[in-house]
Amino acid sequence: MPVLSENLLFFILAGLTIFSGLMVILQTNPIFCALALAMTMISIAGIIASLGAWFVAGVQLIVYAGAVMVLFVMVLMLFDLKDEVRAFSRGLVSGFVKIASVGIIGGVVTAAIWMSAETVFPTTPSGLQVSATQSTKQLADLLFKKYIFSFEAMGALLLIIAIGAVALSRIQGGTHADR
Amino acid sequence: MPIADSLANVGLSHYLVLSAILFTFGLLGVLLRRNVIVILMSIELMLNAVNISFVAFSRYSPNGNMDGQAMVFFVMTIAAAEAAVGLALATTIFKKFREVNIRYFEHLKG
Repeated sequence: MPVLSENLLFFILAGLTIFSGLMVILQTNPIFCALALAMTMISIAGIIASLGAWFVAGVQLIVYAGAVMVLFVMVLMLFDLKDEVRAFSRGLVSGFVKIASVGIIGGVVTAAIWMSAETVFPTTPSGLQVSATQSTKQLADLLFKKYIFSFEAMGALLLIIAIGAVALSRIQGGTHADR
Repeated sequence: MPIADSLANVGLSHYLVLSAILFTFGLLGVLLRRNVIVILMSIELMLNAVNISFVAFSRYSPNGNMDGQAMVFFVMTIAAAEAAVGLALATTIFKKFREVNIRYFEHLKG
């Protein structure tokens, strides 16, 4: 019998994640979308931490809730966007079709997971519960030995992306240049 | 699976369902919103949903291997790179049209 407080923690974090994820797509002011996204990232970090992946949770907080969100908010501030008049795409029929198709996808995936839950997925985590330092060490072993080529390729990718972003954003003068 | 049982035993399927719901929200945001930056945020939401399922699979794997957690790092790198390029494109649109609506993307060619 698992501990009750762990289950409670999961349901609280999952509710928070779903609520703030919904707010990302429903808020009409982009800055509130960014706020909701930051909340989503933080609660996802909580969920990852509750799964025992402490290092990944920390990186999630630093990279997503820190760096990526700062990037988003900085660009939003640069644009000085007001509350949007038309935040959602026009077309009642196409909007309905979009929502229905996404609902069908979500429903089918959720039902497939739920139906196969008893036969395929274990309800108890693997017995090999290791300490935080031990799991971080294992992760480093994987990243720097087994996946070393991918790791280096990621470094090259980041370099290319940095150059590409600079090249893209300096086309035709600054942001506040005359048109 | 009865409801009371699923409330008492949080298993892998709970995390997978949460991941699927979050992915659905991200997909909905990409399809419905017009603001480029909000579309990028929705893509981030989808990538985060995948991260949850990776970590959950890693936790519930029978021999406790950590490959799923290593994959999360690659997903995060891709997400950061995608955000950087997407925001650079958004600034390019904003410089020309003083608005970041997705319909201006078609005027960017040339």
